[in-house]
Amino acid sequence: MKRIINGIIGENPILVLLLGLCSALAVTTTFESAYIMGICVLLILTFSNITVSLIKKLVPKNVEIPVYILIISTFVTILEIILKAYIKPLYEVLGIYLPLIVVNCIVLGRAMSVASKSNIRTSIKDAIGIGLGYTFVLMIIALFREVIGNGTLTIMNNISSLTGTKIILKIELSTNLFPINILTKPAGAFLTLGFLIALFNYIKGGKKHESN
Amino acid sequence: MKFNVLKGPFFKSKNSTHRIMLNLFIALLPIILFSFYKNGIVVYQNNKTDIFGMFYPLLFTLTGIVSSFLTETLYTYIFLKKRGTELKKSILNSFSIFPGLFVSLFLPLNTPIEILIFACVVAIIIGKMLYGGFGHNVFNPALIGVLFALTCYGSIINQNGGYINKYELDTIGSATPLTNYKLVEGIGTYDTVVKPFGSLGDFFIGNIPGGPGEVCSFLIILAFIYLVFTKVIKWKIPVIYVGTVFIMTTIIGSINGVGLWYPTFSILSGGLLFGAVFMATDPVTSPTTSVGQIIYALFLGILTVTFRYLTSAPEGVLTSILTMNMFVMILDRIGSSSKPSIKKIALPLLIGLTIMTTMSIHIGNKFKHPNGTDPNFKLIKKTKDYYMVSQKGNGGPIKAKIYIKDNQITKIEILENNETENYFKLVKEAKYTKTLIKNQDNLDNIDTISGATISSTALKKMIIHVKEDMSK
Repeated sequence: MKRIINGIIGENPILVLLLGLCSALAVTTTFESAYIMGICVLLILTFSNITVSLIKKLVPKNVEIPVYILIISTFVTILEIILKAYIKPLYEVLGIYLPLIVVNCIVLGRAMSVASKSNIRTSIKDAIGIGLGYTFVLMIIALFREVIGNGTLTIMNNISSLTGTKIILKIELSTNLFPINILTKPAGAFLTLGFLIALFNYIKGGKKHESN
Repeated sequence: MKFNVLKGPFFKSKNSTHRIMLNLFIALLPIILFSFYKNGIVVYQNNKTDIFGMFYPLLFTLTGIVSSFLTETLYTYIFLKKRGTELKKSILNSFSIFPGLFVSLFLPLNTPIEILIFACVVAIIIGKMLYGGFGHNVFNPALIGVLFALTCYGSIINQNGGYINKYELDTIGSATPLTNYKLVEGIGTYDTVVKPFGSLGDFFIGNIPGGPGEVCSFLIILAFIYLVFTKVIKWKIPVIYVGTVFIMTTIIGSINGVGLWYPTFSILSGGLLFGAVFMATDPVTSPTTSVGQIIYALFLGILTVTFRYLTSAPEGVLTSILTMNMFVMILDRIGSSSKPSIKKIALPLLIGLTIMTTMSIHIGNKFKHPNGTDPNFKLIKKTKDYYMVSQKGNGGPIKAKIYIKDNQITKIEILENNETENYFKLVKEAKYTKTLIKNQDNLDNIDTISGATISSTALKKMIIHVKEDMSK
């Protein structure tokens, strides 16, 4: 349990380690694609961590990276094919960011720093913690960006072929200031992420170094 | 051992920062009063507004000043936790009224007041305080606020009337010189570019629609002379910036065979002079070395011309100043070596001049076209029953299929468009294509849709060209 909480708060991949930012900024325009992306990364992270920790003794140190990348890309390809077959609209929305999970530093980073050094139990716990941390942050960013930037909240739209219902909430306020549509653009993604990291550090209240 | 790091700009003169800011305010005062005269008194005299509307331009500026001052004070009080004399000292030294003042001079007067306030808040917090306050900001705070308001709420501001005050709406129409310029064919002629707004004299004294601070070129030049005289700004940046734009538009104009009125128009229209004198010279966000200033200003000019001609935005001053703000540190490094070697300076200058000439020749040739045809219009397919045509709109070509019967247009089907959704929605809501079909024999009298001028004009022109082709 400690390991999982550590992944969410102590070593949160986006807010603390600042890894995997590309996908975090790009897919968070709607809430739906954010949590789906999070789940995808969670799954791939878990499977690749399991595999890596199983074969850790067979892999020589100097071919570590190619072997791990190969493992990760196998799982990504499987996931991609499944998504393409069953949830085509979502596959199109996620686009290039799905295959790019292969080079997502979170996955490779965890494989190298944790899974290749510890047993399966620890690896799975670590993968779940980090994956959940990633998913939560993506959801928070997307919630903020979509609600304030677009005035909607998409909970189920592209996956409706699987679940059967569409849930899109609409928020309407009678002021000119809403929605702040810059938040749905890349600049808004950076702003949101920046403020989120600041808020996170403020709440965590880490030791500040005194300076003038 | 403790090092005390101070941020620039460092001036070696008797001018204290307070003195500089006071002079800046004195230079801006006539411009504020002129905006009051043009958008308040003249409108009131023509019975287009009430007494509140008359004082509205002053209130608008005041709102900007007050909201940016309050924002900074509150930020310092809440987040930096300064109290009492410390708070007073930090407020006195940070000149928080200026970002708000500039935002209110840049934004159109028809901007809803809450958007103005929000733009000032963004300017102060994101543009200034998050970087560490006065003297630490990388980008010009006022421009951050303006750009934020224009990108986020551009369509709302346009629907609200944009840059046009109520008097001009009757006398001139609904376009500023630069938005009008976007619609002319090629680089335009004196009759289509300058004539709708009077003469170049009107451009000089500010009798044209535009942002409250930027129209009166005469007062801006006076302010420039005053500021140079009181050593608030260096003359290099504004002169080289405007000079670069002048030379580039002269080349563009001469390729297309128009006279010297053309570069003059380019300089006097839009926010170029205002931006060059007040924004590009901001002591915090512009280079302090003279070599840096020369290269900075040269690239500002190149970027402005490029943005104006090759993008869909009518104005490029804001974006080019913000872009060049990023390079200030590098430029100062080039300029600040103890013995600036010719090699170091010559290379960037040479690159700049090469880009300048090739870019202007490229733009000049791009806009060159045989007389009588519209380069934005393309006939893709023509059959007995329909025309497939495309016309360049705001975001790219608008492709449409136009059905005809007995020399009359019966239906317009828009196949593809790349317009900004909010604007194009207005065109659709107004059922503009139906209006066009109904009045197809009398197209000149149809008004464009305010708020979506470029898109609706493109559609209108498309139909005009089809009609011309049909009558051949």
